[in-house]
Amino acid sequence: MMNKLRAQIIAGDPPAASQLKGPEIAAWSKIGAVVDLDAQVKEAGYEAVVPAELVRLSKPHGHWIALPIQAYRINTLFISKKAADRVGVTKLPTTWAEFNAIADKMKAAGITPVANGGLKWDDGMKWEIALCGISPDAYRKAVMQLDDKTLKGPEVLAAFRQFRKLGEWSDPGAAGQHYSTFIARYMKGEMGMLLMGGWAQGVFKHAGFQFSDYLIGPAPQDDGKIAFDLNSDEFILWQKKQPEFQEGQKLLAKIVMSKDFGPMYSQITGSIPVRTDTDLSAEGFSDGQREAAKAMAEAVKNNRVVLSLGHNMAQPNQITAAMIDVLTEFVHDNRITPEEGQKRLAEAVDNVR
Amino acid sequence: MQWRQHWDRLSPQLVIWPPLLVSCAYVVLFSAWTTWVSFTRSTLLPEYSWAGFRNYSAMLATRNWQIAYTNLFIYGICFVVLTMASGLLLAVLLDQRIRGENVFRTIYLYPIALSFVVTGTVWAWLLNPTIGLQKLMHDLGWSSFRFEWLIDRNLAIYTIVIAGVWHASGFSMALFLAGLRSVDADLLKAAQIDGAGPWRTYRRVVFPTIGPIFIAVLVMLLQFAIKTYDLVVALTAGGPGLASTLPTVVVYDFMFQRGELAKGSAAAVMLLASLTVVLLPYAGYRIWQQRKAAARV
Repeated sequence: MMNKLRAQIIAGDPPAASQLKGPEIAAWSKIGAVVDLDAQVKEAGYEAVVPAELVRLSKPHGHWIALPIQAYRINTLFISKKAADRVGVTKLPTTWAEFNAIADKMKAAGITPVANGGLKWDDGMKWEIALCGISPDAYRKAVMQLDDKTLKGPEVLAAFRQFRKLGEWSDPGAAGQHYSTFIARYMKGEMGMLLMGGWAQGVFKHAGFQFSDYLIGPAPQDDGKIAFDLNSDEFILWQKKQPEFQEGQKLLAKIVMSKDFGPMYSQITGSIPVRTDTDLSAEGFSDGQREAAKAMAEAVKNNRVVLSLGHNMAQPNQITAAMIDVLTEFVHDNRITPEEGQKRLAEAVDNVR
Repeated sequence: MQWRQHWDRLSPQLVIWPPLLVSCAYVVLFSAWTTWVSFTRSTLLPEYSWAGFRNYSAMLATRNWQIAYTNLFIYGICFVVLTMASGLLLAVLLDQRIRGENVFRTIYLYPIALSFVVTGTVWAWLLNPTIGLQKLMHDLGWSSFRFEWLIDRNLAIYTIVIAGVWHASGFSMALFLAGLRSVDADLLKAAQIDGAGPWRTYRRVVFPTIGPIFIAVLVMLLQFAIKTYDLVVALTAGGPGLASTLPTVVVYDFMFQRGELAKGSAAAVMLLASLTVVLLPYAGYRIWQQRKAAARV
């Protein structure tokens, strides 16, 4: 990944704009000259309407150098309507205990309870949703701050236990599969629940399914309060000498920050506009998007936003990869106990810290 | 006429040297650069501060590398032995002057024309227990049929062997067949007159004469095996977990996904070193052969 960008930066001819996210924005801005967007951001009054977590990632050294274009909630749960009808489920589970009860019911009815895939990022994501649902504070300390005590603490262990369950409820052939492989079976009601970011809505929509084919909402949250596991894509602009590129960059920045951009873009992808003052009542938005946007605003207010591990928001790539290696090995090998998995995770973090 | 003579002398040189120089520069220079980077502290971009052997010891200590290297041994040996055996068998069968030989040869050669990504994807579907072969057997009524190698962490690497052998055995068949056809007809007749049966003719006359082909196929397959990358990515994505990862996948992962250029380079250099381990005996064998031939004269 990023090979072209790397080559272009080395050659002294970076693109006018490229997509980056999370801590990679800070890392890459150190090796190539980026455009300072402070003046334009100020003019647009953008900083006040964007979640603080995204502001922090977009101005790593005190200046705006990247612009968020869309946000996704990672801790989102989708339940197949047909599967739900078969076991008499009418609303989403609010805690992991409820989730597990529904999964058991589905299993007894011959439905594969979890419809996730088994690629590395998917595995990392299941664990992170489990931990975020158990305790966002522990998530912040363990994943975002790599706090050793929390990594070895009871919340992370509980997340490993829930993660093992999620793995066992998945399709036995899920290893190495993308979640989209299972969409057909999921919609037919042969599979029950999918833990996936909001983009799955966009995928379902473009595959021809209706909003009425599934239930959507926040993943289980044991303390009953709203938490938001954030993933977001951003644009970074690289310094160019040619005036026509500079003009284009100004225009791009202006469009991305404008109020109309969010509705236009997010209606296609199923994401949430990053501007918290966007009106989501338009017809192109789904109830799922409206609910997620409200959850984001609420979570921002209560400091309950955490950054996604599996989607490279929480840590630089080398730390993320080391952690996900442990998680993916754990979930595909039942002989590793949750205690052993937790120990390995803490060790892996120690080695790359 | 003099320019003509000059030209005749010069043109072969012109044809040989520029490509040779370019490919040498390409291979040697970039290998040297990679080796250099592997001793630095480079992360996202190459930088040239000395780090000693730190990257090597760090790589050797990772689980990824240990698993990948063990897998390379399993995969390399199984792939080479099975591909050679099946290629030779197919070649011997085709060598029986059968009708429609061209058709069979084309069919057996077809897999090599497919990219590894296509091969890997197709085999991933076939071997996946919930959608592939196992499901077919279950649907046909054989409900106790089990074939779950793809999702078994101890056996997943062998699914890559299966797909790899399927992909390359046509290629080794073609080489063996060319060898079999090049055996002197007089030799075969002599063997026939001496009363040797077909098995004995092959074992005692044909195979020894095509010995160099065995070596050529072996070396080519070994380097196929060592540089296998896309097949794993498409077939198992290195999974379940890390169970079927190979060194090339680790190199790519560290260099380009984690932004650890130096560590990735260290892994690449170790991979290159293992390739040398394979090629050195071959070079030694060639020298020994030449000496033997020279001594005979």
